[in-house]
Amino acid sequence: MQTKHLALDDMRVAGALMLVAGAGRALMHSHVGVPCPLRMLTGVPCPLCGMTTSVTASVRGDVIGAIAANPAGPLVVIAAVLLLVIPRRHTLDVPRWILPVALVLMWVWELFRFNLI
Amino acid sequence: MSEATAVPTTGPRASFGVRFVAWLIDAVILGVVGGVLFGVAGPKGGQGLGGLIGLGYLVYFEGSPSGQTIGKHLMKIRVVDAETGGPIGYGRAIVRYFARILSAIACLVGYFWMLWDDNKQTWHDKLATDVVVPTSAYPVEAWPG
Repeated sequence: MQTKHLALDDMRVAGALMLVAGAGRALMHSHVGVPCPLRMLTGVPCPLCGMTTSVTASVRGDVIGAIAANPAGPLVVIAAVLLLVIPRRHTLDVPRWILPVALVLMWVWELFRFNLI
Repeated sequence: MSEATAVPTTGPRASFGVRFVAWLIDAVILGVVGGVLFGVAGPKGGQGLGGLIGLGYLVYFEGSPSGQTIGKHLMKIRVVDAETGGPIGYGRAIVRYFARILSAIACLVGYFWMLWDDNKQTWHDKLATDVVVPTSAYPVEAWPG
């Protein structure tokens, strides 16, 4: 099985920024977000649609709301927290198929959510 | 073909955090300019002029021999050719500018791709065949230009 050598330091920074943004939105009860250009232009959502809502709901502890928006949200929040509490870990080998499979599953969820399948 | 074979230039790559701050600096600069133009030329004119200035700013700086916008200069990173390590030139800087649309179209997935990529390339880096590198490894002779 082909593995991927992930650089965790970059993911740690990106995860921390995501948690700060999610916590900020949750605390301010904000609905500010970046609309998906693909969905705005074509009506078709992308795999990452709903992630802003999902991450914000996850940070607030609303797991059901988070999963409804995009099931990947709670998972990336948990991953981001783990990266912060394990700062000495710098790399991780993961199977290469993980990302494409995750994106396909997320996309199917979003297409279902927006009643396109 | 592995990604390492496709991009033979070796050496360190600019990190996500540093690239994000550089992007933020450029966004603030272009945002302030856009805001002033909005006030002077109105919504339509301001948007059009702001867009043109954004295009000129990114193509001029990233296509120049240094490959550095003001944000990248302050954060000590630069855009270089993925195969030679040299400048990408103005033609490919234009490609890089418009390829950002592709990177952004699906909730910025093309930008986040650098977190997964072996050469820390975004989609617009791949389409313009460039990599973003620290100047400690790829020194700049003169900036700007």
